[in-house]
Amino acid sequence: MTMLEVSLQIFRYKAGEPPHYDTFTIQVADTAHVLDAIDIAWAVHDHSLTFRRACHHSSCGACALRIDGVEKLPCVTPITDVWDGHSPLRLDPLRNFPIVSDLVVDMSGFFQRMSASDLAITRHSEPLLPLTVDDLPAGVQLEPVEPPDNLPGFSRFESCIECGICMSACPTVAADDRFLGPAGLAAIYRARQETDDPQEAAHLLALADGEHGVWRCHSAFECTEACPQAVDPARKIMALRRELTAQRFKKRRRR
Amino acid sequence: MTMAHLEYPKIRRAGRWFDVRRRKLGMWAYALNRITGIGLVVYLYLHLAVLSLLSRGPGSWDSFVSLARAPYFLTLDVILLAGILIHGLNGLRVTLTGFDVGVKAQKALFGVLMLVAVVALGAAALMIFGG
Repeated sequence: MTMLEVSLQIFRYKAGEPPHYDTFTIQVADTAHVLDAIDIAWAVHDHSLTFRRACHHSSCGACALRIDGVEKLPCVTPITDVWDGHSPLRLDPLRNFPIVSDLVVDMSGFFQRMSASDLAITRHSEPLLPLTVDDLPAGVQLEPVEPPDNLPGFSRFESCIECGICMSACPTVAADDRFLGPAGLAAIYRARQETDDPQEAAHLLALADGEHGVWRCHSAFECTEACPQAVDPARKIMALRRELTAQRFKKRRRR
Repeated sequence: MTMAHLEYPKIRRAGRWFDVRRRKLGMWAYALNRITGIGLVVYLYLHLAVLSLLSRGPGSWDSFVSLARAPYFLTLDVILLAGILIHGLNGLRVTLTGFDVGVKAQKALFGVLMLVAVVALGAAALMIFGG
């Protein structure tokens, strides 16, 4: 393990003060991730530096920000992957969100859009249990876990961690505050896949078909490029468009 | 949102349409479509303004035509054609992917269509300057 001397150029904003950048030079191991470097800057240089982090393994999406202009999860981004060895590493908050303080953005509008689909957090198609573990000691028997009573099947969470990276990467979100955005539309697509109820399906498609829905997307595909969880929101937006177009053709034929 | 939050004005945020730094090919296609789209709208109004010369009689029109035959003016024709080709062919990509066709191959699709644009533009430039 080698120690690196890295300069972090961090976006700073506090209410009532003009935004600017502060540069902190820190010592960090070459095995560290960018989030470790931010932690050190906070601990050693400035306790007023605000940023979010929780899980440290790309499960929660809380730490999402821009590293040298590109949206990433700093908790799983090795510093040696993004630092060129001499220039300061620039850290900015996500774009297209109101900035609360330093690297912290207001995600409330985003979460509201995500909830538009009323997406269930579990899905039936990928049951997690029973477990099969090949390397357990002989004689050890695993007891299958019973699903909770209130869920039809005990399933894992969706891949989307609601980090907001796709919203920051999308150029359309920049100029349309009410655009449901890649994550919101991907959630609608997922909810649409889950339902056989015609009324619910119609409601979801109407959401996607709205003024701030799928037709706002102009095929930059940055959401899919930036998504750290390979959710591929752009593909889902296009699939929704196809369904909506097919629906319109069918309606015309019936007339 | 509280007043303390920092939010940039919409016009400044719209500048992100053209920010291709460290972005992928799809973003270049997006930015190109906007630049050419704006260019073509500006051209449309210029074209209408030029056509209004007809109302001033043959003299003013003829002097414009002689100007339009100058090499630097022909260069503007090539730029116009580049805008039409890039916007039109890129629009084809947007339409196809918008119908869920070729989404996975959108980068290759963009590359091929832009190659077609370059070849067609080269041929057109030869015709414009050669003819």
